[in-house]
Amino acid sequence: AGQDVGRSCILVSLAGKNVMLDCGMHMGYNDDRRFPDFSYITQNGRLTDFLDCVIISHFHLDHCGALPYFSEMVGYDGPIYMTHPTKAICPILLEDYRKITVDKKGETNFFTSQMIKDCMKKVVAVHLHQTVQVDEELEIKAYYAGHVLGAAMFQIKVGCESVVYTGDYNMTPDRHLGAAWIDKCRPDLLISESTYATTIRDSKRCRERDFLKKVHETVERGGKVLIPVFALGRAQELCILLETFWERMNLKAPIYFSTGLTEKANHYYKLFITWTNQKIRKTFVQRNMFEFKHIKAFDRAFADNPGPMVVFATPGMLHAGQSLQIFRKWAGNEKNMVIMPGYCVQGTVGHKILSGQRKLEMEGRQILEVKMQVEYMSFSAHADAKGIMQLIRQAEPRNVLLVHGEAKKMEFLKQKIEQEFHVSCYMPANGETTTILTNPCIPVDISLGLLKRETAIGPLPDAKKPKLMHGTLLMKDNSFRLVSPEQALKELGLAEHQLRFTCRVHVQDPRKEHETVLRVYNHLKGILKDYSVQHLPDGSITVESILIQATAHSEDQGTKVLLVSWTYQDEELGSYLTSLLKKGLPQSTP
Amino acid sequence: YRDLHTFELQAPTRLIEWARGSRVCVAGYGQSDGNEILQLIPPPTLLTKETQGLCPERDFKVECGGFSERPVYSLKYVPDTSLLVTSGPPDSSLQVWQVSAEDSDVIKSVSPIATENGTGQSWAKIATISARAPWVLHGSRLDRVQITEIESRKNVYTAAPGGSEELSSLAFLDCNTLLLCCAAGRLCLADVRQPQSLVEAVSAPLAPCSEQWCMGTRHGAQGLEPSSQPVARLSSRGLLTLTDLRKTSEFLALAKARVPSPGSGAEFLCVSWAPALEGCLAISGFDGTVHVYDTQSWDSSGREAKPIFVHKGHAFGGAGGSGDPPLVTVHTWHLQKPRTLLSAASDGSLHVWDWVQPCGKC
Repeated sequence: AGQDVGRSCILVSLAGKNVMLDCGMHMGYNDDRRFPDFSYITQNGRLTDFLDCVIISHFHLDHCGALPYFSEMVGYDGPIYMTHPTKAICPILLEDYRKITVDKKGETNFFTSQMIKDCMKKVVAVHLHQTVQVDEELEIKAYYAGHVLGAAMFQIKVGCESVVYTGDYNMTPDRHLGAAWIDKCRPDLLISESTYATTIRDSKRCRERDFLKKVHETVERGGKVLIPVFALGRAQELCILLETFWERMNLKAPIYFSTGLTEKANHYYKLFITWTNQKIRKTFVQRNMFEFKHIKAFDRAFADNPGPMVVFATPGMLHAGQSLQIFRKWAGNEKNMVIMPGYCVQGTVGHKILSGQRKLEMEGRQILEVKMQVEYMSFSAHADAKGIMQLIRQAEPRNVLLVHGEAKKMEFLKQKIEQEFHVSCYMPANGETTTILTNPCIPVDISLGLLKRETAIGPLPDAKKPKLMHGTLLMKDNSFRLVSPEQALKELGLAEHQLRFTCRVHVQDPRKEHETVLRVYNHLKGILKDYSVQHLPDGSITVESILIQATAHSEDQGTKVLLVSWTYQDEELGSYLTSLLKKGLPQSTP
Repeated sequence: YRDLHTFELQAPTRLIEWARGSRVCVAGYGQSDGNEILQLIPPPTLLTKETQGLCPERDFKVECGGFSERPVYSLKYVPDTSLLVTSGPPDSSLQVWQVSAEDSDVIKSVSPIATENGTGQSWAKIATISARAPWVLHGSRLDRVQITEIESRKNVYTAAPGGSEELSSLAFLDCNTLLLCCAAGRLCLADVRQPQSLVEAVSAPLAPCSEQWCMGTRHGAQGLEPSSQPVARLSSRGLLTLTDLRKTSEFLALAKARVPSPGSGAEFLCVSWAPALEGCLAISGFDGTVHVYDTQSWDSSGREAKPIFVHKGHAFGGAGGSGDPPLVTVHTWHLQKPRTLLSAASDGSLHVWDWVQPCGKC
């Protein structure tokens, strides 16, 4: 399918939680292929148990179109999260699409109006930057994404692991929306749209200039301009553009905005003014940017009025409704123009005329000859490669995953991201599962006593270098604590074990035992000058806490057996002594 | 204008090269490592003969890209192969790359062509041809010019020493004839079959102060003798000379372009002939503009010539007033559409523009 069309639906498993991101419908198919294949999620079909929540990024049908089908026909009763504007506008678009698919095309396996209503009852609306607790462990937060009214990027967090899903976003502001923004949240994974990553876009000024030129030329020669729109999003952008142009050029031709869907849309834009950009919010006080001076509500009868005019009408692909009606009236006059706003699904009138067809078969076998000019424009607002890099720079993720429409080769972008940010970049195909390893940090409380003791040992701690400490890790009831061994033993009611090692060293010495001991004592005293070497009255030698005793060998009187015994703590010294004694005693000892 | 499209590249380029299939190549020349070579597919509007006002696909698409560790100052595709050659500081060695757009979108680096690096050598100027075999002509100085066969890396030609001046560009006039332009202005001809011959074709024009020169050669229509096409030279003071290589004793024409003085150096001087308009050439590199001239009315007087069109777009681009105004780094003509040019500037902008012939001329 083309770049503008696709369906988004991503499943993320994070620390035992399962989240579904978006639930889009594919506009290119007329059968069940238009919905995502939900059997991928779980074989036994009990989605409510398996999924912890569903998140919808914005109201475009390729991101939310399959939601009622998913929740009401496949079956899901858990929470669905989206922003307030999305919650308000989604049902309108869904109902509109349902009407056209079922009423006009006569499809049967489709969701009903009631299903849309029931689905929306499961929706929980969220505010920007509001942390929402889905359950005890899972929390989500929405960030501004630009692109369309109410579009958001979502951060999903469980403990200290997190994923950020961007949905569709735009890093450059336009006339009515700001640019996407996120803080340095350092998620383990950033999932980003990348369909437009390989484009270098023509500047907005040039596109707008060309659009205005065409409209102006048509109106100047007395023609009518029809602009079929998807009601929300670009329509507002173009309204502002035309309004400003009309004002500047002092044009008198009327501009109309068709009734129904689009009026409601304007109404919602006014309600959600905080979701628009700075400039609009600032001027809102003086003059509401969505209250247009030159743009009026349309009435069906106006289409027959003589003279130039510009009309925005729905739906966008000329497949039904008012825009098609107007199109039929105006198509025969070559002074008129229709400007198609974007992608048109195959089979629609919009698609046909864009492919060059000029004779169309209408209902009742009537042939319509299209003499009016057909133009095409695309003002889509998606992030390009530069935008993606900017977002990665802002969020600082540890891994990046790029989502794209077709199985395109994106090795270059992958390398670019990996080289610049030193992170791993993944680009799975549809249906593919990608596993990303994370290094979660586990917080452990350290007892004050242990901290004080350990920091006192050894050289002064360097603030920048890690310091090695010794302690005992106690894991109890989901809490981790680091304490001194003594305290650990005390808490657990355990006694400390003492480990003692004993080693036998054979020494050739025919003299009596006490003489051997004396020899050993003098030998050690001479070598181990820094240690405390003592000769005890009972005939044993101590070196620090290590004990040395001599006995005669049972079978050979000429050999003496030295018992060297030490505790685990003196292991090092003990082994040293043993190897020293094994070398033998020097001959010349007094 | 008949049409104007402005684009913004992530990094500025100082080269625009045409490749097979109407592809366009640009590359970064920044100081730091991580310069990108991008092979772009132009939007369909630029590929069709008629200009369409509104079109769904108005964007350039990055078809494939490569990463270069050094700044890319010059890039040339090797005809009839899937290779391209680049050069850039710090020395005069060449990098060879493989483009295989069908398999992968990464332009892979193949082993470089090393050259002996004498003292004080800057980057090599390059030209390519695939007549007997894929060859690259390269050199940074007049006495270091050589032709290397790309596949075997064998040296098939070394120019006789004729001076150690720095070169500003070089070109193949045909499969046997080389034209070398020195930065000081001299033009030299050489025949590949006679390695010892290096003929000074045209001496540097006398000038009161030292200026840098660059040249533009024209590839005429098929069948025309290449040396019958005049060679244009442009100096950093704006002087333009046209020379017929068959009659090198005199200038065909001499004119002065109206450029800001003193020139901002000769780093980006560029002069090129229009492939489809007789006698038309364009110059850039002095400021944020590109001038188009009709040379058919010129004589040898050296008078100031008036451009028939000036593209000022780059000067207005830039992020309002921060830092130096953008400087046009390179321009090139569209190979089929007669009045369409592409130009790039130091602020990363890339413009595609189609100018209208002023009234009175055709």
